[in-house]
Amino acid sequence: MDLTFSPSFVLPYLPALLRGLYMTLLLSILCISIGLVFGFAVGLMRNGTNRIAYACSTIFVEFFRGTPVLIQLFWIFFCLPVLLNVEIGPFVSATIALSLYMTALASEAFRSALLSIGSEQNDAVLALGLPRRVSLLHVILPQAFLRALPNLLSNSVTLFKESALVSAVGITDLMFQGEIISSATARPIEVLTTVAAMYFAVGFPLTQIVSLVERRVLRRMAI
Amino acid sequence: MVSGSRQIPAAPGPASSVADAGGAGSAGQSAEGEDRLPATQPFVEIRNLRKSYARGAIPVLKGVGDTMSKTDRLVILGPSGGGKSTLLRCVMGLETIDSGAITLDGRNYIECLSNGRTFVDRTVQRQVGMVFQHYTLFPHLTVLGNLILAPVKRNGEKKGAAIARAEALLSRFGLISKLKSYPSQLSGGQKQRVAIARALMLEPKLMLFDEVTSALDPELIAEVESMISELAEGGMPMMIVTHDMGFAKNIATKVLFCADGVVMESGDPETFFAAPKIKRTRDFLASILRGTKV
Ligand SMILES: Nc1ncnc2c1ncn2[C@@H]1O[C@H](COP(=O)(O)OP(=O)(O)OP(=O)(O)O)[C@@H](O)[C@H]1O
Ligand SMILES: [Mg+2]
Repeated sequence: MDLTFSPSFVLPYLPALLRGLYMTLLLSILCISIGLVFGFAVGLMRNGTNRIAYACSTIFVEFFRGTPVLIQLFWIFFCLPVLLNVEIGPFVSATIALSLYMTALASEAFRSALLSIGSEQNDAVLALGLPRRVSLLHVILPQAFLRALPNLLSNSVTLFKESALVSAVGITDLMFQGEIISSATARPIEVLTTVAAMYFAVGFPLTQIVSLVERRVLRRMAI
Repeated sequence: MVSGSRQIPAAPGPASSVADAGGAGSAGQSAEGEDRLPATQPFVEIRNLRKSYARGAIPVLKGVGDTMSKTDRLVILGPSGGGKSTLLRCVMGLETIDSGAITLDGRNYIECLSNGRTFVDRTVQRQVGMVFQHYTLFPHLTVLGNLILAPVKRNGEKKGAAIARAEALLSRFGLISKLKSYPSQLSGGQKQRVAIARALMLEPKLMLFDEVTSALDPELIAEVESMISELAEGGMPMMIVTHDMGFAKNIATKVLFCADGVVMESGDPETFFAAPKIKRTRDFLASILRGTKV
């Protein structure tokens, strides 16, 4: 193995790495979107009065928060197809696993956000005679979303980083491409450093957006 | 009294269940038409209202009854915990009740049915507006957004028309410069004035004010009270809970003293403040004058 560090060495491999980054982003955005929608629903169930819905959602959330993402991924990739007796490809199993994980994270953010909306908002809704649909859509959801936004953004960064695990089931994401190229060329220093830099280039601005949102948007609305 | 337009079971007979509250002597009148009422017909009538929290464990209103006419501004006074807020919340239709009924303009719109459930006629309830002690503006909407939400989303009013009405209302009350501000950018007094304007957007026939100046710094109280006075001059019937005796004396056409969940005394403000009939009222007024909380 050549121990000299020559950054220009990775240039020919950049297109392959960028394809990997594209896959990483695609998977992350897909799973974050799915997780946000289901996360809001699960968050409502966790705050609701229906005991069965509460119990199911609580078990779900605690399970996915309390086990390693890698085992969730492997379980869905290896065990679920056997149990259901169907073929599940790597991309679909990775999407299912990460979406469920994001759902669990997002539901916690929504749950505490919903809890923090004071009862005086409900007084206002009732005194104005707003129908339930209007109050959910125009009063509760926007406030819950804004209050949950900092947590949701940092959950999204977590998911983006954790998504590197999907290389273990053969998804050609950024991590996967990095591993292949680094072992094929025996140049791990250049290649893996580049991969880390590419993750950072996406992740760091995202964490900055979190604090920007906290400072600007949320303060103006005093949420 | 039977309200002509409702299909709900009739309320108990005239005045039979009215907890003695020294109310107007018109309770025996029966409404024939639903809109044209005899002049003696009370505008609002509360009959034998009982309300408890925690499934009866905390009785709060223990048979409240009173009336107000269309020209009245009813000021409700009383010690803390006496049930004033609960009474207004019941009139607004925010609470379930354990017995009794409330009538607006001759229509029974809140009533405890024989099966114990609370009936609320939403079309009548919508004619009542309420402003609370705590700030209830929607923090994620601008002043304009707060004003037009209910007219547009509830009543289906055209957005342009609602905006025009909101602008007119805000100009009238000196708030037009705050049109695009968020609630967090307003002072407490401005927040309460916007909350009043938001309620006015729905063109209520009756306004309820529950200690709307209690959370305010002293220098901000006047602007809110003068807005309420302006509405009063415009002929808006209202029920006001306040601890501000000066304001109460100025605005009241009728005073109701509410303590321990019952109406202890009610009548015209001159008599009430100058010569209260019962000792409890005298003690209350004296303690207010001394500046101590009861
Ligand atoms: N949601 C509730 N659950 C249980 N008890 C309640 C609730 N709301 C009010 N109460 C109780 O009902 C009683 C009357 O309360 P209410 O708020 O109507 O009094 P108030 O006359 O408005 O007092 P204040 O002057 O302090 O505002 C109090 O003892 C209060 O603790
Ligand atoms: Mg109160």
